[in-house]
Order: sequence, then structure tokens, then C-alpha cells
Amino acid sequence: MLLRGLTLLILMQLLGTAINVLLLPMIPGQVLGMLLLFVWLMIRGEVSAPLNEAAGSLLHYLPLLLIPIAVSAVLFIDSISGQVLAVSAALFVSLALSLLFTGWLMEKLIARQLRQKEQA
Amino acid sequence: MSPDLQAAWQAVIHHPLFGIGLTLATYQLALAAYERTRWPFLQPVLVAMLMVIGTLYLLEINVREYLEFTNIFVLLLGPVIVALAVPLYINLRHIRQLWKPVLQTLLIAGLTATLMGSGLAWMFGASEEMQRTLLTKSVTSPFAILLAGEVNGIPALAAIFAILTGVIGAMLGPELLRKINVKHPAAVGLALGLTSHAVGTARAMQEGEQCGGFAALGMSLMGVTTAVLLPVAVSLLT
Repeated sequence: MLLRGLTLLILMQLLGTAINVLLLPMIPGQVLGMLLLFVWLMIRGEVSAPLNEAAGSLLHYLPLLLIPIAVSAVLFIDSISGQVLAVSAALFVSLALSLLFTGWLMEKLIARQLRQKEQA
Repeated sequence: MSPDLQAAWQAVIHHPLFGIGLTLATYQLALAAYERTRWPFLQPVLVAMLMVIGTLYLLEINVREYLEFTNIFVLLLGPVIVALAVPLYINLRHIRQLWKPVLQTLLIAGLTATLMGSGLAWMFGASEEMQRTLLTKSVTSPFAILLAGEVNGIPALAAIFAILTGVIGAMLGPELLRKINVKHPAAVGLALGLTSHAVGTARAMQEGEQCGGFAALGMSLMGVTTAVLLPVAVSLLT
């Protein structure tokens, strides 16, 4: 079951890679693979059990898979030294502002839609 | 150490499986620490990262050697990205009658969130490389890593920025949103998912089902749109 789902995921990524080389060089193969799988799900109208199992397991272990990349950050200590303050400030301020803006905008748009429905 | 012991020790720490074993072991330790404390800053990835770096340093193993032997983990991030189609498909159910506000918010707020980090980094005098890396901080880490490579940023730092953004957003988000009177669960959820992706979504789940559903939707939509539009924008601009 798990292997069938995993095979489908890899197949989609390889198809995505082929499309990337043939037609759409600007969009990465993995992303095209994801879009292909999404279209496949829309056509089938359901998530099959093997796919659900494979996708669930991979996403469950995602933090584990991220460790080596996170470790490779030590190779870039030179590029970040001296900028820690600027980068953290940018990260923090932009996060707080965009979080508030997103919530505020969505709240306003929901309220507007409700008003339009009442008038109609 | 006698010569034989020395040889055995070297054979163990330079075995191709040593890096994978170390990663598995530190991940489980970090996970146990997180489950005991539930303190959001103890994200297992970050704690395990520090433990791996510490171990490599103590044993005098080259980081590049470790990376070479754990490359299979990096390779598997490809199918993880493909697999993200599944939550996207499932979460689209939550959109129902709110699809218009959701898409409008996604476009306007998503673009703002993407550009603001780099804009502020530029204002505060961070390097161009850092500005480019920060373009990816609002998407879930597998996308952030991939996209940071596409925009000539640093994938390793993109992963860490994405995780930190998620942690801080999850810790402060609900409180901040209450302060400015954002109350609708769909608005709170979308704000958490769109800006603080996975960790934010986990936090939103605690606020309730609708809030969690919209957070998952916001994370999925933000990830996919950024993954498609950011590389296209870069290829058009350069």
C-alpha cells in the first residue's frame, strides 16, 4: 500500500521533470509534479488509500527529512554573520505586520460578503 | 587508544550509515524533549540540527561528509512536495461560500507577506542574498528550500527562516489578532496558515475545527501559488 502510493508520487515528480525540460523551464519539476497530482485528484474525485498513506507518512516525517539541510546552514555562517540583527528584525516585523494585515483583510472581506448577501 | 581500537572507531564514525543513524537518533531525542516540554522554540528540527552539529564538531567529522551520506533525505523532499497536492485537494473543501474573500486575501496579503520581508531586510541593510532568501519565509519549508534555490538565495537558511517564522507566528499570532479584533475563525485561521504555515496551522487547530481548516487551506494555497508564481516572476525579471 505504502509502496504503491510512493511509486505514484515519484512517477508524478519524474513526469514533472520531463515537462520542466520540454515545456516549462521556469517551474521546478517537483512543483509541476504536485500540480499533475492535483489534477489527477480532481479527475478521480478522491484520495486513494495508498496515496493517502504514502503522502501522510512522508509529511509526518518531514521534520526528520529537513535536518540535513538545516545542518548545512553552518556552511553559511560567514554569509549571515554581521547581519543577524537586520535579518531577525526583518523576519519579525514583516511577520507581525503581514499576520495582522491578513487577518484584518479577511475579516473585512467576509463582513462585506455578508452585507452583499443581505442586500441581495 | 590502541591502534586497533582507533581503527575500529574511525571505521564506525566514517561509515556511510553513521550520518543517517545520527540523524535518526537526534531526531528522536529532540522529539522526546519537545513532547515533554511542548515549548514551541524546541522545534525538533532545530534541536536535532544543533545536536548533529555538536556531534560532528566533537568527533571531528567534516560537515560535507555528513551531507553526502544523508543526501537521500534531501532527495526525498521532492516526493514530499508532490505529496502536498493531497492536503491542498482535501483542504479546498473548507473554502465553500468563502472562496471569494479567501482568494482576494491570498493574492493581496500573500504578495505583501512575500515582499515585506525582503523589503525590510533591504531597508535594514541585509545583503542581497539574504533579501532573496527571505522571499520564501512565508511558505512551508520544503517549498522554501526549493524556491530559495530558484531565486539564488540560500536554501539551508530558508528552511530555518521558515521554521522560525512558523514558531513566532504560532506563539504570538492568536494574541495579536485578538488585539485588533479579528475574531472570525476563518480570518484567524487564514492569517495563521498564510503567514506561519505548518506550525501556525498546528496552533490554529487548537483554536477549533474551522480555524484549523482555514489555516491548512491558507498554507496549501500560499505554498502552491508562491511555488508557481515566484519562479515565473524571477524568470521574467531577469
